[in-house]
Amino acid sequence: MFLRLRLPLLLTLLAGLIPIIAFFFKDDATFIKKPNSWLEQDMVIVSGFALLLGVVNVVQSNVRKIERREKGWLFAAVLLFGMFFMGIFGAAGAMRLGGLPGIGNYPNGTPTPFAWGSVYMFTPLQSTMFALLAFYIASAAFRAFRVRNLEATILLVAAVFVMLGRIPVGEGAFGSVTEWMMQVPNGAAQRGIIIGAALGAASLSLRVILGIERSYLGLEKSE
Amino acid sequence: MSTALAKLTTIDRRWIFLLIGLGTLIPILIPIGFPVTITPPVQSIYDKIETLGENDVVVLSYDYGPTTAAENEPMADAIIRHCFLRKVKVVALALYPLGGLTAVNGSVTRVSAEFPGLQYGVDYVNLGYKDGGQASMKLLAEDFSKAFPGDTNGTPLSTLPLMQKVTGARNAQLAVSIATGVIGEWWANLINAQYGLPVAVGCTAVSAPKYYAYLEAGQMLGLIGGLKGASEYEQLLLNGYPQTKTIYSNPMLQTASKGMDVQTIDHLIIIGFIVLGNIAYFAGRRAKQA
Amino acid sequence: MAGYEVFGTWVAALLTLCLMSFLYKDNPFFRFAEALFAGVSLGYYIGITLDQTLRPNLFIPLAEQGVTGDTAHLRFAGLVGLNLYTRYIPKIAWFARSSLALYVGYYVGINMVQKLQGEVLPQAAATMVDLSGDGNVMSAFNSFVMLVGVITVLMYFFFSVEHKGGFGKASRIGIWFLMLGFGAAFGYTVMGRVSLLIGRFNFIVIQWIGGTLQSLGFGG
Repeated sequence: MFLRLRLPLLLTLLAGLIPIIAFFFKDDATFIKKPNSWLEQDMVIVSGFALLLGVVNVVQSNVRKIERREKGWLFAAVLLFGMFFMGIFGAAGAMRLGGLPGIGNYPNGTPTPFAWGSVYMFTPLQSTMFALLAFYIASAAFRAFRVRNLEATILLVAAVFVMLGRIPVGEGAFGSVTEWMMQVPNGAAQRGIIIGAALGAASLSLRVILGIERSYLGLEKSE
Repeated sequence: MSTALAKLTTIDRRWIFLLIGLGTLIPILIPIGFPVTITPPVQSIYDKIETLGENDVVVLSYDYGPTTAAENEPMADAIIRHCFLRKVKVVALALYPLGGLTAVNGSVTRVSAEFPGLQYGVDYVNLGYKDGGQASMKLLAEDFSKAFPGDTNGTPLSTLPLMQKVTGARNAQLAVSIATGVIGEWWANLINAQYGLPVAVGCTAVSAPKYYAYLEAGQMLGLIGGLKGASEYEQLLLNGYPQTKTIYSNPMLQTASKGMDVQTIDHLIIIGFIVLGNIAYFAGRRAKQA
Repeated sequence: MAGYEVFGTWVAALLTLCLMSFLYKDNPFFRFAEALFAGVSLGYYIGITLDQTLRPNLFIPLAEQGVTGDTAHLRFAGLVGLNLYTRYIPKIAWFARSSLALYVGYYVGINMVQKLQGEVLPQAAATMVDLSGDGNVMSAFNSFVMLVGVITVLMYFFFSVEHKGGFGKASRIGIWFLMLGFGAAFGYTVMGRVSLLIGRFNFIVIQWIGGTLQSLGFGG
């Protein structure tokens, strides 16, 4: 019971309090600075491990898909090929195996397989996937942007002002008003959202530190 | 007439895609060269870097990946180019996991090649990427070596002269984050707030409206918003440093200024679609009422 | 261009076209590129995390300095990190809770300070300014609009009170400010997405087609 429940809650409390207490002591010699610095350095490493957690899940589910010859299993194989190509060369580079100098370029400027994959596969795939949204946003503007009521009209007018005020042909007529709109009324709206969201996030943080919110551990309140 | 207009709302969206495609392709093939006007948030970053010299250090954080590189890359290149032109020392790093490393390696290699007189380790350093988000930021603000024991290739920081000069980001004169998403905000609400380091941000257009709140509150000294902001910075460099004309007129180089031609045409097409969509909507309503 | 550049540019161009083919309709080429996109991205994570974080921050310090002195705490970090993976072993899956607790605890702690000191206080302070604008009418007007905007937007987000009467009217003004903000965000989103498209078209036209023509001896 202690190891399964109390210990995790205690660790959350401890790990949460250290950066908060450290914030109030600027002097490097203070008792809290060293454990805080250790914790920061450790969290960089733990973040690294955490980032790779999903890889196990993806491998498990895709291998299962291939084994069972489920619909689209060939694409699951393509996914695993892409992951292993980059992952194996990345890991080998990190360990300096097979004469690899790392995951960047060789000293003569020739890319390692990982660097080649980053530039010629990872980059175009990532950027094209998001570039496609330009087409869909145009289609959405045509189909959904309607002057239905006052609120929708404000939304539409603001959007059109920004689109005109940020291009050379519209800058002369709309540039100043767009800049004012961005800084003042938009600034006010964003500031309201930031303050509201920040207060919400801070109170949630407190609930987590105090052990009131436990769902991130897969626990119910009553547990 | 009303019924015909109302039918417009049901057109195959691929016609819209085709128009956007042509609106993008044609200005690339036949550049127009629209002029660029400078806005105050971009001017402030340029002015700040103009006050810096060879004894000053700028921390340049590449907090974006390929998904937004078309917007962020011209900003990052322009900022580091400006620093190199003024011989300001640069500590480059990346905190964005999905492509930050590729961005910082590409930009530093590309722009440093234009300045053969500058020496790696003395005039600039590329620290590479680090996981950890806020934990890394807090560490590097106090002591770079705690977050980055080595540079991007693993060379220990203790062997790089520049890193003896500036031990932590808080000792630098300016931090510039070229960001997609939330990391640019962290430079303002964590590093500027807790260490007082002046922060400037070059963000994607999508994030720009939110960043205006930080700019207005004085948590950032300037803001480069999207491709438009990047084109302004390029224009400022062209005005202040005429030698950059040879760089920016290279037909093989993708610059923000060239992109503004396409941006103009595509914005006009989309505004046209919004107007047309509304005409069709009202025509449809009238037809229904009739 | 070197051989690997030519080959790479063609691979990148074909992958770009595979993804763009979705604009016409869903097809196997798109599915292929989509699957590769997910796989390559995960593989990228593996490479950068091992090479840029775990190697310099964990493996090398432990190998060079052993497990004594100032690096002793890194052993702990390594164990905490590895322990996260016990969640995949059903019998001891609960072990991972302790690592997760430390990880989440630290980040919510830092986040709390960051939000309160780095956002709430400076943003509120910037709103509470002299409304006279030091004699500048425009500045006074802007400060007033800002104050009204922030208060009414916050009122809109205050759900403990029913939005009726005076409160309801004020929160409606908050909605107008929000709509203006969202409209501006839409305009900027259009700008952003078009920029990304420009990036891909530039790649196809300048680097792929232009580069290929150049290597074949056409053009300068």
